[in-house]
Amino acid sequence: MRRGDGHTEHETAYRFWAGNYDAGINIHPLDTANDMPAIETNSLSKRFGDVVAVDDLSLQIDDGEVFGFLGPNGAGKSTTINMLLDFARPTGGSATVLGYDTQKESQKIRKRVGVLPEGFDLYERLSGRKHIEFAQRAKGANGDPVEYLERVGLGGDPADRNAGDYSKGMKQRLAFGMALVGEPDLLIMDEPSSGLDPTGIREMQEIVREEAERGTTVFFSSHILDHVEEVCDRIGVMNEGELVAVGTLDELHARIGGDAHLELSVDDVPERTVDTLPDIAGVSGATACNGTLDVTCTESAAKAKAINHVEDAGTTVLDIQVEDQDIDDLFAELTGNGSTHAEGDTPEEVVA
Amino acid sequence: MSVPTVARKDFEDAVRSQMLWSMTGLLVGLIVLIYGAVRYFEGSAPPDELAAILALPMQVIVPLAALIVGYMAIVGERRSGSIKILLSLPPTREDVVAGKLLGRAGVVATAVLAAFAVALVLGLVLFGEVAVGELFGLAIATLLLGFAFVGIAVGFSAAVASRGRAMAGVVGTYLVFLGFWDVFVGGIYRFATGAFPPGIIPMDGRIEPWALALQRLNPMEAYGVVASGLMDQQVFPLTLQFPIGVNVVGNEPLEDVVIGEVPFYLSEWFSAVVLLAWFVVPVALGYLRFRNADLG
Repeated sequence: MRRGDGHTEHETAYRFWAGNYDAGINIHPLDTANDMPAIETNSLSKRFGDVVAVDDLSLQIDDGEVFGFLGPNGAGKSTTINMLLDFARPTGGSATVLGYDTQKESQKIRKRVGVLPEGFDLYERLSGRKHIEFAQRAKGANGDPVEYLERVGLGGDPADRNAGDYSKGMKQRLAFGMALVGEPDLLIMDEPSSGLDPTGIREMQEIVREEAERGTTVFFSSHILDHVEEVCDRIGVMNEGELVAVGTLDELHARIGGDAHLELSVDDVPERTVDTLPDIAGVSGATACNGTLDVTCTESAAKAKAINHVEDAGTTVLDIQVEDQDIDDLFAELTGNGSTHAEGDTPEEVVA
Repeated sequence: MSVPTVARKDFEDAVRSQMLWSMTGLLVGLIVLIYGAVRYFEGSAPPDELAAILALPMQVIVPLAALIVGYMAIVGERRSGSIKILLSLPPTREDVVAGKLLGRAGVVATAVLAAFAVALVLGLVLFGEVAVGELFGLAIATLLLGFAFVGIAVGFSAAVASRGRAMAGVVGTYLVFLGFWDVFVGGIYRFATGAFPPGIIPMDGRIEPWALALQRLNPMEAYGVVASGLMDQQVFPLTLQFPIGVNVVGNEPLEDVVIGEVPFYLSEWFSAVVLLAWFVVPVALGYLRFRNADLG
């Protein structure tokens, strides 16, 4: 989802999600469901030769929550997920999923987890229906395969077409449909939005919300913040193999400081004023440039004080612009990565 | 137990691929060609010879086809990423390897049985008489031969991480068993005894039982032994014969060929066990590597 297109819809979706998640948590309070975390990693590490892909990761995902695992490409998200699914073996530490050891009890995990892996391929000679039937047989689940296909938007004609003829988005939908087979207790999805167009992403988010309401824990990774912030109760941010932040969106804002920028257009900038601005409690910095005074505030109340301070010094404030820190700046700050926005988010193919 | 689930899916996938049909087509085509030629040039032939004559095309096609059918079984899914779909579901890696082995063995078995069914019908149509028992015996031996090579191929497929290595493995296997096994056995014999093995045709000395057993570890040789045992005809293995090798025992009874008593491991049933071992052991070894592989 690219910022700019359908901004109003975007905002609506945000409120919609946020609202439902509150409800979801109330319906499934952690204390009545299960005290055991859905996912727990203890100092989980993975080295490939000299490269540390995941470094000492300790993370806990509670039962019933929707957790977004965020970070740029190569941050170690997929490696972590691969270790949870026993695709890759840790070089240090351990992990449990639904209370089962990821290495010793992987099959027990996979009986109760729905997985949408990253970088997968389907069986090109088998139809969508055959794929769902295979997942059902493997999981010992019943039901009409078409229901799953319809749920992920592959009902009708695509159901009986070979997956080899599917677009990338349709393959992603089919794999998601396979993940939903057998009413999993936990959904683990690695970059679920890849290959999907904005409609596809919204539909997937809708299903994730339905699953979460049913009590399913959802753990998914993304390098695109928009996709995570809209559906998640909590977010963990990975960078260069380390978990650099974890918490709700609000908590992350607070932790990073939730800086606001105050941009004042002024007739004249006395240097003394610039130098003394940071003395005000809640102002962390000030710079002047071409008749503009840029003040960074860590507290909202500091903004008014800063303006008063400038005017007291005899400077006339011509215009005021306030810019709260954008979530993208937050992400960029956490990962030390400038451009994070919707990178690589252009849908490769439009879903038929 | 998810083995049948994996095997079934694999077989369904193979049925829709060129794999099964090309192998069946090739075998059937050769049978039609051979029977047609016999009918055209000879007019007729004894039914038991008509059965035994098929041992040659079977040995030409089945090992090669089985290797091709099997070598991408697991490594192909690793390269494409579909193994992640498979292993996201409850099947374990063990189930995947076993299921793949059975699925691919099913492909080979279907092709071989279809070919023999065609031979049966064609024999009746062209010559009016068929040695059913002989054909059946050869079919059993050929199934075992196909399974042996499928096992070797799936074993490589499980053990390695790239298509190239799997291919190198099966091509090497093919060359060794059809071309150079004799040289290996002759070399080992020379190393152990200080001399090259005695020639058997014409016989210029008896041979140690262990050397003959070593020779029969080659699935091609084992096929010759099993097929000859199940038929009234002598079936010769399709391998390159080197003067320094242990040469094939012809129609002479083993008692006249080996030194001392004929041990159990030179009986015909033991060669069937050898073929089954080739079906199972390489896959087990391949699994040991696959078990700990990172599937990134």
